Amino acid sequence: MANTATAPEITLPARRGLTERLGNELRFVPVALGLVALLIFFSFQSDVFLTSRNLNNLLIQSTVTGIIALGLVFVLLTGEIDLSVAATSGVAAVFMAKMVVDTGLPIPLAILLGVGIGMLIGASSARWITLIGVPSFVVTLGVGLLLNGVQLLLLPNTGRYNLLNTGVEKLAATYVSGPAAWALVLVASTLFALIRLTTFRSRRSAGLPASLGGGVILPVAIVGVVLIALLMFLENQRGLPMPVILFIGLLGVMCYIAHETRFGTYLYAIGDNAEAARRAGIKVDRIKITAFAIAGGMAAFGGILSASRILGVSVSSGGGVGGGALLLESIAAAVIGGVSLFGGRGMVIGALFGALIIGTVSNGLNLMGVANEARLIVTGLLLVLAVSIDRGIEKLAGPAG
Amino acid sequence: MTEPILRLRGITKHFGPVKALTDVSLDLEPGKVVALVGDNGAGKSTLVKVMAGAHRPDSGEYLFEGHKVEGATPASVSDMGVQTVYQDLALCNNLDAVQNLFLGREMTGPWWTGFRVTRAHAEKKAKDVLRRMRLDSISLSRNVGAMSGGQRQNIAIARSILWEPKVVLLDEPTAALSHSASEQVGNLVRELASHGLAVLVISHDIHHFVLDNTDRIEVLRLGRNAGSFNSRDVTGEQVVNVMVGGNEAVNMAG
Ligand SMILES: Nc1ncnc2c1ncn2[C@@H]1O[C@H](COP(=O)(O)OP(=O)(O)O)[C@@H](O)[C@H]1O
Ligand SMILES: [Mg+2]
Repeated sequence: MANTATAPEITLPARRGLTERLGNELRFVPVALGLVALLIFFSFQSDVFLTSRNLNNLLIQSTVTGIIALGLVFVLLTGEIDLSVAATSGVAAVFMAKMVVDTGLPIPLAILLGVGIGMLIGASSARWITLIGVPSFVVTLGVGLLLNGVQLLLLPNTGRYNLLNTGVEKLAATYVSGPAAWALVLVASTLFALIRLTTFRSRRSAGLPASLGGGVILPVAIVGVVLIALLMFLENQRGLPMPVILFIGLLGVMCYIAHETRFGTYLYAIGDNAEAARRAGIKVDRIKITAFAIAGGMAAFGGILSASRILGVSVSSGGGVGGGALLLESIAAAVIGGVSLFGGRGMVIGALFGALIIGTVSNGLNLMGVANEARLIVTGLLLVLAVSIDRGIEKLAGPAG
Repeated sequence: MTEPILRLRGITKHFGPVKALTDVSLDLEPGKVVALVGDNGAGKSTLVKVMAGAHRPDSGEYLFEGHKVEGATPASVSDMGVQTVYQDLALCNNLDAVQNLFLGREMTGPWWTGFRVTRAHAEKKAKDVLRRMRLDSISLSRNVGAMSGGQRQNIAIARSILWEPKVVLLDEPTAALSHSASEQVGNLVRELASHGLAVLVISHDIHHFVLDNTDRIEVLRLGRNAGSFNSRDVTGEQVVNVMVGGNEAVNMAG
C-alpha cells in the first residue's frame, strides 16, 4: 500500500471563469450582442431603420411573439414543450371578441375571461401529461388542433369578428407620453433597484460577500439607461406604446418569478433532474401544471393583444391551423434567447432578445426590399447559429473533472 | 443493546417479474454505523429507497421510534429525521451548492413576495456546515455540474446532515471517490455516529471502508437477508463469501 500515492484533491478556483458565467447568469450576453450587431447592420442598410417611427413598429410587431415566448419559457425550463400556445392565443382572442361583440360583456372582464381560459387550457394539458405520462409535444399538438377546431366553431358565419370601435382596439393603440411615461420608467427602475438592494442588504447583514457596485449600481444603471433611452427615442413619436409597456411589465414580473422565487428554483430543478426534485419533496406535477397555466395565460393575452392591434379576429388568429409562423417564431424566440429545449437552462430575459432578433430580421430585411423567403432562411440560420453558440459555451463550462 | 430507531420487518418489493426484495428485515440503532453489502442487483439501493419513502414496499412493516410508518413519502420521511444520500446523488447540475443543499426546503420571504428565496441565511448556514465538515474549498455559487466527483459527493452528504437528522442513509458514497476522499467520508460517518445518529452505508469496499468504519455488516443476496456480522469479529473473505453465496446464511452478530 505504501506505493499507492493518492493524488491531492484538486481544488477548483473559487472565482468562476467567464465561460462558466456565460453559461449561467450572463447567458443572455451573446444574444444581446447579436441583437446589437443586427441593429448596426440594418442601420447601415436602410436610412429608415433607426427612425423612431420604424423602431416603434418593430417593437410593437415583436410584442405578441415576445409575450407568447415569455410564457413558453416557463414550460421549456421544466423540460416540457407546449405546441398549443399559438392555438390557445387564437381561441382566447376569438372568445374575448365573441363576448364583447355578441354579449356586450365589459372589455376588462372579457379580457380576464380570455386569459383565464388560456390558463385553464394550459393547466388541463399539463394535468393530462402528468397524469398519463404522455410526452407533452404529442398532447399539446393534439390540443392545438382541437383548439383550431373550437376557434372555427366560435367564429360567426362571416368567419370574423370586427373589433373596430368596440373599445378593444384601445389596448394596442394607446400611447403613454410625457410625465406619465417618465413616472412609469421611474417606478420600474425603482422596483428593480429595490429588489437588488434587498439582496445586497441581506447578504451584508449575514456577513457574506456583497458588492454594491456590481450587484446594485451597475445593473440598475443599465436597466435605467435602457428604459430612459427607449422613452426618449419614442417620445418624439407618440410616446410609449401600450403593448410595449405591457410586455416590459410582464417581462419584469416573469423574471422575478423565475429567478427570485422558490417556484422559479423548482422550475430549474425539475428541468435538470426531475427525479432529484421529486425526492427533495417538490411536487413536480403541480409545478409543471402551474408552468403550463402561465404559458397558456400569456399566450391568451398575446392573442388578445394581437386582436386589438389588427382590429379583429378571424380564422387566421393564432397563426391559423397548426399555429403556423406564430408558433414557430414563439418557440424560436425562446430558443434563440438561450432557453434549452431539454430543460433547466436559459433565462427569462432570453424571450425578449429572441423576439427582438426575429422582429429585427423581419423588419430590417423588409426595409431592404428582400423577399419573404430570404427572411425565413435568415431566421432559420440564426436559430441554428444561436443554439450552436449556446452549446459551445455549455461544453466549455461543463464538468471540471 | 440500544433500541433500534428504525426497523424494517419482512419488506417485499417486486418490479414486475424482478424480485428486488423478499422478506427483508433490518434494524438501525442510534450511534451505530451499519454496512449494507451485497452483489450488484442484490437489492441494496431498493431497500434504501423504501426507507427513504421513494419506493412503496409491496408488503412489510416500517417502524420508526417504535411507531408504524404508513404511506411514507420522501417528504414525510425526511420530516421524521431520516435523510438519504442516493447513489446518483440526486443533485441538480444547473443549480449551485447552496440551492442544492436547500432544495425543497428553501427559506423564503412572506407570500406577498411570491415566496422569494432569502438566500443569504441559507448561504450562511451552508458555509457553517461545510466548515464543520472541513469542506471550505467548495464554492457556494458555482453550479455543481461544474464540480469534481468528490465535491459533488460531499455536497450530497452535507445536504443530508444540514437538518440535524436522526438517521442518515448513504448509498455507495465512496464508489466514485479517490482513496483519500473515501477516508474522509469514513471519518465523517463515524463522526455522525458518535453524535448519536444511526447511519447506514452501502459500500463494495469491504476490506477497507466497511471493516474500518462500521459496527455491523448486513448482507443482502438476491433480495434476501443473507447474513449479519459484527464488523470486529469477521474477515473480509467471510463477508464476500456470504455475499456471493459460498456459505449458508449465518448470523454472528448475536
Ligand atoms: N425502478 C425499477 N424498476 C425495475 N427494476 C428495478 C428498479 N429498481 C431496481 N430494479 C431491479 O431490482 C434489482 C435490485 O436493484 P438494486 O436495488 O439497484 O440493487 P443494488 O443496489 O444492490 O445493486 C435489480 O435487478 C434491478 O434491476
Ligand atoms: Mg445500488
